[in-house]
Amino acid sequence: MLRHITQGLALGAVLALTAMAPAQAKTIKVAIGHQSMCTDTYTAGIVVKELKLLEKYLPKDGKYKDVEYDISWADYSSGGPITNQMMANKLNIGVMGDYPLIVNGAKFQATDSLRTYYVAGTGYNLKGSGNAIVVPVKSDLYKIGDLEGKAVSTPVGSAAWGMLLKAAQDNNIKFQLKNQSPAVGAANIAAGKIDAHSDFCPWSEIMEFRGTGRKIYDGSEAGVPYLHGVVVRKDLADDYPEVVQAFIKAVYAAGKWIKEDPMRATDLMEKWTGVEKEVLFIYFSEGGHLTLDPTIKPKWTEALKFDHTVLVKEKAIPPLDFDDWIDEKYIKAAYKDMGVDYEADKAAIVDPKVANAGLPNQIWHARDGIKEFKTLPEFLTAVAKFRATGAKINSTYVYDVETGLKLFGKTAFWVVTPKGEFSTFLRRGEAEKFAASSGGKVIDFDEAIAMKSS
Amino acid sequence: MTAAVLNSPRLHRIREAVAARPRLWLAVTLGFPVVYYLGMFAALLIRFQALPNYTETFDWFGNVAEIVRSTPDWSDIWPIIGQEWLFEVGRMNYDYGAGISEWSLYINPTKFGLILILGGLTATAFNLMLARRAACSASRLNGGAAAGGLGAALVGMTNVTLAWVVCCATPNWVVGLAILGLGVSTSLWLEQFGWWIEYAGFGLLLASLYVLSGEPKAPGGKPADSAGGHDDHHYPNTAMGASR
Repeated sequence: MLRHITQGLALGAVLALTAMAPAQAKTIKVAIGHQSMCTDTYTAGIVVKELKLLEKYLPKDGKYKDVEYDISWADYSSGGPITNQMMANKLNIGVMGDYPLIVNGAKFQATDSLRTYYVAGTGYNLKGSGNAIVVPVKSDLYKIGDLEGKAVSTPVGSAAWGMLLKAAQDNNIKFQLKNQSPAVGAANIAAGKIDAHSDFCPWSEIMEFRGTGRKIYDGSEAGVPYLHGVVVRKDLADDYPEVVQAFIKAVYAAGKWIKEDPMRATDLMEKWTGVEKEVLFIYFSEGGHLTLDPTIKPKWTEALKFDHTVLVKEKAIPPLDFDDWIDEKYIKAAYKDMGVDYEADKAAIVDPKVANAGLPNQIWHARDGIKEFKTLPEFLTAVAKFRATGAKINSTYVYDVETGLKLFGKTAFWVVTPKGEFSTFLRRGEAEKFAASSGGKVIDFDEAIAMKSS
Repeated sequence: MTAAVLNSPRLHRIREAVAARPRLWLAVTLGFPVVYYLGMFAALLIRFQALPNYTETFDWFGNVAEIVRSTPDWSDIWPIIGQEWLFEVGRMNYDYGAGISEWSLYINPTKFGLILILGGLTATAFNLMLARRAACSASRLNGGAAAGGLGAALVGMTNVTLAWVVCCATPNWVVGLAILGLGVSTSLWLEQFGWWIEYAGFGLLLASLYVLSGEPKAPGGKPADSAGGHDDHHYPNTAMGASR
């Protein structure tokens, strides 16, 4: 009898303690690897992080009612280490460029039990601009063929590395390849310690803007679109698809926020990343290099498949089953929730040559902000006037005749015809060709301004 | 089969050689990784003429636990764990951006374990040479020493855990070659042969143990037993090395 009473008391105590104990909330880890020094990842990285957009869209009802989210962000200088960290499950979402994305998918598929899904893009440049090969500003190298036998560095495994491999294959040149992180490559270009450095966005523009480097090859010459995207570990995507959808909604919202006011966005992004706002403006302003669009277009799949063949040719990379890797169901669900027409966005492709035709040239006046000029003579006259009065100009922007890409006025190759008409070019060769056909001559920015300053 | 191997005369001679000088064996085994990592560190200081300015410790056990928890297949777990670091010491350049690690030395527990095994094999070969210097011909001793030395060098070379930003931004064994002056492109090309070189190194070390633990040679050059010599178990102390 006493034993029954004791057992009853013990059971009661256990039940009471159980009832009093706080409910254990389930914690979902969302660990994102991003790149604050790679502009094309910003809409899935630094902007989402700083504006806390993921927190805004994460599900909080239904099966997620009592869930706690453990959100962490890790910043990397290239995509390769993000994949390594994803394999060790220290990260479960990664944001990176096209070639690292492929390596990510292939490395995971080479395992017996791990997989990632490519679930969304961040942005693209149809022409492939964003990657570039830069030489020291005083170098006597002007075209990719000049790199034969030279020392060329790149962050191996990055999108710029992939572009460099393709450029070497296309032009049948061989050089000494060195592996350098973007910051080291940029420092070596500034110090003239390396013949050339190939890097991804926005490093070549940083070097141009600071006056330390000069582009001799732009990614647009490779003729393959340049894109970035989001990969997610399969276990996260399978267990919590709504979390993946929330991340994609955050990416979409980040793009919308940038497009609403590029000046505000670049100003804040400069504070978050340390990249000059004038450099960021060439990517994120109207007519900029980057088209913010998370949809997964058939053309991107084709581009990624092509990139994979480049990697297979140059390096023993495992095969990649694109059908298994690319999964649109998360982005389609996210768009549906947001009430946005996915198929319409997916069908739209921005070609800078068409979209940027007729866009005004711009002067970023330090005090008054962006001023726009429809023609190049008006633009040059205004620059000359500002310079004469000692007004500070942060930067100037014009467009490449051939590709429609936005350029810094000071780094463009200018051609003036006998009639006094001006044209601007990204590449010296095309400027010289145009000058020869029009009877004009190739001049630099200062010479062009001088012609309008009298 | 296993019993036959365990009872083989060669293994018996190896066990005897180790038992003859256990403290020496232990000192060489444990000292080998210490000298190995100090040697790598010294190479960095001499090559770059600068002291390190940062260290970082990684939660290796926590990371391994997470890998085991989140990776379904054991065949995937091992290679991923093999990439995990415990400790990093290096030099950071703060001239550009948030800082770039110019060079660094990593301690990877998996690699450390391999170096410890290497130390054990080297110590065994060393003990065997000391123990059997009277019983082996000069050519056998020299051959065994050469094979063991080359094997240890190859295994040591392929387990270097140095990172140098101008060669390879991640720790890689070929960085050691590049630091020694081999061209970066050549070094990176050699990377693909790392496993084979490591296997060859271990193979040479095992071959040296095999050679050094062989039948003793009679003065005429024939094996002692075929020349009417004594049984292995009755080697005089002079043959096994008297002093401890």
